[in-house]
Amino acid sequence: MNNRRWRPCGLSLVVVAVVAAVAAGAGRANTSASGANSAAQNPFAHYGNITLNVWSADNQDPGPKPVIVALANSFHKRYPNVTVKLKFYGLTDYLKIIQLGLNSGSAPDVAEGNQGYGTDSLLVKAKLIRPLDAYVKQYHWNKYFPPGAMAQFRWTADGQTYGKGPVWGVAQFGQSTGIFYNRTALKKYGFDPAKMPTTFAGFDKLLAQLRPKVPSSQPLAVIGDKSGYESMHSFGLVQGAFLPASAVRNWIFHAPGASYDTPANIKALTLYQQWFKKGYFGNDYNAVDENDAAAAFAKGKGVFYLGGNWQAQVIHAGLGANVGFMNMPPGASGKYVAVGATSLPLHISAKSKYPDVAAKFIDWQIAGPQSARLMYAQNQVPAILGAPAPPKGNPYMASLGKGWQQLVKDNGLTLFPDWSADTMFQFLGAQLQELMAGRKDAASMAKAVQSNWEAFDKRIHKK
Amino acid sequence: MTEASREAAPASTRGRPAAGRPRRVTGRAPGEPHRIAYLFLLPGLVAYVVFTLFPVAQTVRLSFYDWDGITSKTWHGLGNYRELFDSTEIRAAFGHSVELILFYAVFSLAIGLFLTALMMHSHVRGLRFFRTVLFMPQTIATVVVAQAFTWIYDPSGPLDAFLRSVGARSFAKVWLGDFTWALPAVGLIGTWISFGLVLILLLAGAQRIPQELYEAARVDGAGFVREFFAVTLPGIRNELLVAATLTTITALRNFDIVYNTTSGGPAGKTEVPSWLMFHDAFEIHRVGLAAAIATVLTAVISLVALGISRFYTEARQ
Repeated sequence: MNNRRWRPCGLSLVVVAVVAAVAAGAGRANTSASGANSAAQNPFAHYGNITLNVWSADNQDPGPKPVIVALANSFHKRYPNVTVKLKFYGLTDYLKIIQLGLNSGSAPDVAEGNQGYGTDSLLVKAKLIRPLDAYVKQYHWNKYFPPGAMAQFRWTADGQTYGKGPVWGVAQFGQSTGIFYNRTALKKYGFDPAKMPTTFAGFDKLLAQLRPKVPSSQPLAVIGDKSGYESMHSFGLVQGAFLPASAVRNWIFHAPGASYDTPANIKALTLYQQWFKKGYFGNDYNAVDENDAAAAFAKGKGVFYLGGNWQAQVIHAGLGANVGFMNMPPGASGKYVAVGATSLPLHISAKSKYPDVAAKFIDWQIAGPQSARLMYAQNQVPAILGAPAPPKGNPYMASLGKGWQQLVKDNGLTLFPDWSADTMFQFLGAQLQELMAGRKDAASMAKAVQSNWEAFDKRIHKK
Repeated sequence: MTEASREAAPASTRGRPAAGRPRRVTGRAPGEPHRIAYLFLLPGLVAYVVFTLFPVAQTVRLSFYDWDGITSKTWHGLGNYRELFDSTEIRAAFGHSVELILFYAVFSLAIGLFLTALMMHSHVRGLRFFRTVLFMPQTIATVVVAQAFTWIYDPSGPLDAFLRSVGARSFAKVWLGDFTWALPAVGLIGTWISFGLVLILLLAGAQRIPQELYEAARVDGAGFVREFFAVTLPGIRNELLVAATLTTITALRNFDIVYNTTSGGPAGKTEVPSWLMFHDAFEIHRVGLAAAIATVLTAVISLVALGISRFYTEARQ
């Protein structure tokens, strides 16, 4: 269940890798310097032996989980009196229990939330987590996350206004969506994978060229959409060619005047619907969930997989060197846009007795001395600006890292549209399914989504 | 339901004339104070109040509030109910439940009745074996059943493979992802689960029908159909009532099968009230609205159960 679907948007990026490397290098120097010091310089020594309880929904293994575990171990080594106790959950289960867990007598010290009105809004409103502005300053987290990216962690203290106010969490992995392609399959259908299109129009044309060559029983592009949310990812790749990422973000943040029902968005929805009419996605997507779809692509089904980089490791396990990754090439604006964000934000419980230890632990996860290296080993993208470059000799990891960087540089991460309302995960997914099945046209679908959004807007702003 | 249980009592003692009402009335020890009985009832009553009545009352109370489950509640009057009746999504979910009754109750009762008639008409060898096999679906965890059917209905699963192999390629479809077929597909799982229970109940009733009645019917020249309507059906009325009530309730409160096969999809076409209740309470944190759905669902189930038992009582008279 890795519905990272709603995952956040990250921002980070390694954008200007060089500049960042310098900045981060400076930050990191402190850490390693102190690491070299004796335990006497352990600022947390006065607590005596303590346990730091940490809950995470990044339970994919291989993937993020081993990274988190390894960093927890090295944290204990550096601060021997702090024992980190990790508890992992599957995301969908986790989101049902986290607010209760943080509200209980045995709340974890550090816990992941989920950006958007579905989870974080409530955690802030119920005062279950604490604002982290002091630690943002102490650990220079604002250097790791450009303002656009930091917005996904900001809420006003009443939990009602998103994108503004204090920072309540930060996160370590960069998660974006793009195009995975099967080199062997492309060659089989007479296309040279070294000449992938560089514009959205070019990719649209390539799909049209390939469809008649691929057997009709097979999809050209694989997606899973059993739960409905998955189509938000593939639609985001089309949407990005028609409207700027900021339009989607404003809609998620409920900025005044934001709307789903705009001519540009209707154009995008119409084209997306045509892709289904033309059979690009085959016909079994409603019966297959995201993980199964990625696994099927990894076994050779279809030519493309449109989805999240969090499936990179799974796909690589099946296709090996035959798989390539790239962002959806830009539309008329020339800018890369895609659904993406950071992984789930790490929060500190309002009940934690050691918030300073918790903050250091979070810093250790996002920018610890080993974190980037450990992430690359699991084909995960570090979210922070200025992370060291991926190791040479791993072109796949390099393409994943580059995908994230392009998006950050172009300010093109739209975040996840379901964050816009607690109902949207379900509602937008269902509306997209209606659109894909040809049961609704783009205009009426956009209208329905906007009126659901407005109903939620009224609900939160009434109080 | 009270009527139902009153009706059921004599049925269960049929064929054992010794155990009748009169004995119960006179069976009390002479001079024993009747009020002491309440003392013995107390533990059960306390448990019932604490674990059943109180949560029900609490749910009804919550349905009048706007509450996210964590922060303080605000009084919302009938707002949740208004939203419930205005929402096409919630109304559709109740509609889906009604459709599921067809599969859970009507179909399984029909199959159960037919098999009962068949088994009573001719001596089936290895009846015990068949009974066990046919009851199996009831004993398997519904999560397992749901997983198994998800596989059966999969486009690469055995059902579509079979359809293609017999040349019915155009009938093969993405069953659980199909806007028209997803709900019937889920319903058929319900039929498969329910009919075993129905069969066992009906057979149990039918086996208590004195064999002489069948012999008499046959002497009078009754065929399979006649025998069924004249002997079997009247003899298992009470079991039929129990079976109808149980399967209808199961249909109305269906959650596990939907949750584990379609999660309400595609596009809400298999959403049912229990699923929405869960979704509202635990996924979007609208506990008040979820409580309102729960309250209405409980009322509907009670009314339907009452209606069924009324219907049977009247049919008997």
